[in-house]
Formats: sequence, C-alpha cells, structure tokens
Amino acid sequence: MPVDEAASAARPPPTRLAADGQQPRRDAIDCLQPLTRQNPGRENGGMSVTTHVSDPGTHFKVEDPARFATLIRLRAVRMVAPLGFGYLGQALSSAEQVAALFATLTPGEDRLVCSPGHYVIGFFAAAAELGLLAEEDIKTYGQDGSPIEAIGTERSPVLDYVCGSLGQGLSAAVGFALSDRMKGKTRRTFALISDGELEEGQVWEAAMFAGHHRLNRLTVLLDANNSQVDGPVDEITTLEPIKGKWEAFGWAAHEVDGHDVAAIAEVLERTANAEQPHVLINRTSTVHGLRCLPADADGHFIKLPPALAAAAEAELTAELERLA
Amino acid sequence: MTETVRTPPYPTESAPDGKNRHRIGREFGTLPGGHPPYPTVLKPYGQSLVELAKQREEIVCFTGDLTRQCEIDLFQDAFPERFIHAGMAEANMMGMAASLARDGFIPFVHTFGVFATRRPLDQIINAIAFPNLKVRILGFMPGVSSPGGPSHQAIDDVALMRAIPNLTVLDVADAVEVRQVAAAIVDVDGPVYVRLKRGEIPVIFGDDHVLRLDRANVLTPEGGDVALFASGMMLASALAATRALEDAGVSVSLVNVPVIKPLDTATVLEVAAQAKALVTAENHVITGGLGSAVAEAVAEAGLGRPLRRVGLRDTFAEGSRTGPYLFTKYGLSTQSVIDAAWNALGRGGKPPTAASAQADDGEYAPV
Repeated sequence: MPVDEAASAARPPPTRLAADGQQPRRDAIDCLQPLTRQNPGRENGGMSVTTHVSDPGTHFKVEDPARFATLIRLRAVRMVAPLGFGYLGQALSSAEQVAALFATLTPGEDRLVCSPGHYVIGFFAAAAELGLLAEEDIKTYGQDGSPIEAIGTERSPVLDYVCGSLGQGLSAAVGFALSDRMKGKTRRTFALISDGELEEGQVWEAAMFAGHHRLNRLTVLLDANNSQVDGPVDEITTLEPIKGKWEAFGWAAHEVDGHDVAAIAEVLERTANAEQPHVLINRTSTVHGLRCLPADADGHFIKLPPALAAAAEAELTAELERLA
Repeated sequence: MTETVRTPPYPTESAPDGKNRHRIGREFGTLPGGHPPYPTVLKPYGQSLVELAKQREEIVCFTGDLTRQCEIDLFQDAFPERFIHAGMAEANMMGMAASLARDGFIPFVHTFGVFATRRPLDQIINAIAFPNLKVRILGFMPGVSSPGGPSHQAIDDVALMRAIPNLTVLDVADAVEVRQVAAAIVDVDGPVYVRLKRGEIPVIFGDDHVLRLDRANVLTPEGGDVALFASGMMLASALAATRALEDAGVSVSLVNVPVIKPLDTATVLEVAAQAKALVTAENHVITGGLGSAVAEAVAEAGLGRPLRRVGLRDTFAEGSRTGPYLFTKYGLSTQSVIDAAWNALGRGGKPPTAASAQADDGEYAPV
C-alpha cells in the first residue's frame, strides 16, 4: 500500500455535519427564530409591499419560462431607461437563469441568494412581472430615496441575501444550507454568482466548505458571461477549467447554455435530490437577446439613451408577440 | 502635552525652538480664489502618476479591476510592463504588493476606497503596515460621493487606516492637491493611504498651492470665533460656509487638513486656541476620522472648546442615485457646516443661509 494511502487509512474519517435524514438536536434549535424582516412601510421610506420569495405563503407560477425571460428583459429595459444607463447587461446575461429559477423553486420555501449585487435588476424585474413588487415601488429603482437600490443592499426585497461587495454571496448561501441542515429542513438554497467573482478567494473558501460537508440542498448558478469591469475575464485572469475546479472542490458541475432556459430548468429539476452541492456553469453574453445594442456596448454598465431605449422596447415587445 | 507623537516618516521643517510650528497665515494667508461653481479637470491623478513614473522606474501600478475608474488606463498605456492586473482579488493584491515593496519596487495600488480598506484589512496590517513597507494605497470614490449604495461607499476608510500603526493617511481636497499627491507620497518611509474623488475634480486652489505632508493649511487666519477644520471634498463646503458665516459677522479660521495622520497637531492647536468654538467637516463617519483626530489633539492639550463634527452620524447612507442627494440627506451640506458653527458658538436666532451655487456640466459646486 502506498504510504499516503496507509496514512489516510489510519486517519479518522473527516468530521462532517449530519447528512440530511439524520436527526439533528431538534430540541436545542427549535427555539431559534429567524430574523424578522421589517418593512417600514412606504410612508417611512420603505415599500408598499415587501415580498421575499421564501416568505411563507408566497405563491406564484411561471407558465412559460422562455417568454418570462423576455418579460424580464423588457422590464429591465424599462427600469434602466429613466436613469439613462445601468446594469442592463447583467439582466440580459441572467434572464434565462432567473426565469428558470422562478419556474423551478418552491415559493414560500426555497431560498434565493444573489451574490453580485449589480444583478438584482433581473430578480426585481421577475418579481415585478409576478406581482411580488408593486408597480409604484419598481418605478423607484435606482432613484434618490428609493429602498430599491441599483446595487443590491441588505434592504433589497425579493432575495434572501444580496451582496453589493462581490464574492461574498456563496458564503451566505452555504450558511443558509448549513442552517437548514442543522434545523432538519429540506428546502433548497439557490445562489446566483458570477464568473468575475471567482477571482475572489472567499468564493473558494465557501466552495471548499460546501463540498466537504456535502451540502446537497445547495445549487449554484454561475453566470459565466466572461465580463468584468476591466474587460473580458479571460484577459484578466484564467479561470478555466472552471468545471474542473468545482469538481476538485467536491461539487457536481454542469456545463449549460445559459440562454437555453429549458436546459437550465432541466438541470435544476434533476439536481433536486442530489448527494452533493451542484453548480451550473451557464455560458452567457451580456448583450444576449437585444439586437439593437451597439456592438461595443460595455456589458458591465450599458448606456441606454432614449432612442435606444425605445428601440429596445419595440424589439422586445415584438419578440413577446412572436412568443405568444 | 503628554501625547507621544511618532516622528513623521518624511522631512519636516523645524522652527529654531525645535517645535514643528509655523506662523498662521504667513504661507497660506489667502483664501483660494474664485467662488463655486469651480472648474473641473479629468484624471489629474492618472496624469501625474505617469509623469512621476517617467522619473521613477521603481514605481509599479496595480489595479483591482477598476482601471479606467482609477485613472490608471493612462499608466497602462504608458508603461504596460509595469502595470499589473490583480483582478478582483484585493487580499492577494495587497500581499503581492508587499513583496514587491520588499524587493525595492514602489507599488501604487488602486481600487475603490471600500475595497482597498475593508476587504484586505488584515493583509494591509500584517503584510504591509507591520513591516512598514512603501506601498501606496489609492482608494477612489470617498464617502457618500458614490451612487453605489452602502457596499460601494467608503465612509469608514480613514478610520480603518488611521487605526493601523505606521500608516500615513491623506484626504486631498482639489485637483491642485491631487496633481501633487503621487510625488508627495512616493518617498514616504512607510505605507500610505490616499482617498481620491472619482471623475470630475474641482480646481479650488491657485497654482501656487503646495501640498505638504507636515502642514495643515490655514486659509483664513483672522477668525477669533470659529476654527473650522475640513478635509477632502468638504473643503468646498467649508469655504462656502466660511463666506456665509463671515457675512453674518462670525469670524472663521478655516484650516484645510489634507493629512489626517500624522495630524499637524501644532497648527490645529494654535488655531483652536485662538477660537471660541471648533467645527470639523469630513466626508466620512464622525468616528475615527478628522473629527476624532482634532478632538483627540485638543483634549490632550487641555483646550476646552465646544466642538461640532460634521459627517455621517453612525449611519450607513442609503437610497442614492446622486451624491448631492446623500450629502443633503446625511448632513454634509454647506448649510450643515454653517449650522454646526452657529450651534457651537451658542448663537441664538436663525443661522445664515448657504448661498446656492448651480454647477453646469464640467463644473463643481458643493451642496
């Protein structure tokens, strides 16, 4: 027997938390109450409705995920247009992923984390289309005095956790999955993270922990759009092989066309009863689904002057009619 | 004074009596010319770093995925072989910069102020500050100048950096100071943190203004009523407040404090001793920054004066599209400075109203 195998045979097995199905100490933890999310109400600077997807009693159903992705794009255009510029590229990049998530997750139960706060636009757009965000609130997106800031914050609605400071969301999602396991709950936690964030070391600290503890109720959607502020990610840092890295950390990794909503939804369904954490490496583009954008549009921060906004509105409206 | 003051890590001029003091108003006796709105310039820092790097081959430039935003696209074009894309990996960036400094390079490290100070705090402390390495950390988008929400607002960077031994901390006021800052800090014997406004930089001082690391600048020396200490973006507001207060019969000694640490204690005490009340103004939380530094110096010297600190008051700054909205909402306006002075003096009645100044495109006016 090779030396290191002999050594590992002599070592005790790694310490892991109880896997799902084993009874945690329920008596000790049932007394723990989750943080109550306070909505101060519109008159106090809050929102008229605050709905988080995981709030008990939340109901919605996405009938046609492909059409829903286009609705997200159109809504995002309408959110950015009054500002003249913003994080439209993040919505275009993630529209199918957000649509597949909302079509798959169990409302009122499963939890949602958005790690790159600039991506909240896609989730807010989806929530507005589903009536989870009031029209009067969504109109204030990114404006002075609005609780719906353009880069997500602790106060952002819809999501269970958002970080404006990049690279921290996977830790939050791992924490949620860990908490659920300790409480004996079997709901899922979904986290959207971005490829640029993989440059931050904390992502890999979280990935290592989740892999070690086989947090199988955790599913990550990695938006691999090869875009960061300074340009294409692969010109700044080589991330590939992304799939091999996650697998080396104990995850099941899936290469997916990130603009094929059915393909994303299929993997999300298939991984519902997994034995380890899963990551979907969704290959995307920050200008997908909007042909009217100029070829040199900065995917991180797209300029949308009135004429371009009108063209985008017309293009997406026609697309919706085609899909109807 | 019982305070133990570290020897500044750069040359200082000493008066014949050995104390580091200068006569108020002799060198900086004129109020900067012009009224708001001020003209602005683009990329004064980026241009000055390129000029400096032509002379100093040991300068290397790090970016944390914010190259254009930190004006160092100019450096990248001029000296690609000395330009390092660290990517979005601030902890690693600081650790690498420290080792380059150990090998004789002078790294200038660039990202937004939040990411430069919060994310790699332990790396700055252990890899850079403890070994006292010549790493220059440039944090852009100070305080509430950013529309990016609390995650992108460096409201505590001065406090974090000021608490670290060996670090020199600057908050420069205008384009004239910004142009000089790289040359001013390049030879400091230890790490330096500089916070810099992003985008259009106002020109407030005249061309003859000299940024010195050992001197705060007394801009209006005649004030017997209020000593007003301002840093960074709050200088423009403090100037406007000074004019409004003087028009209302309140004399003001306005002091520009570009170096928060080590503080020019001699100047602060000299001005404070001649005033009835003190006001500080900073684009930062009022704990740990300029207001705290002035309060500590004055208290340790046994000077009893009412003090009001203008800045964020134990709060994050939420709900932003524009900087001016936040400056008003969180009490960082010219009117806030006027009200603070009025209150510190115990004057009755209504304080004077700040004159409003509209800025066109390419101009800057304080809120």
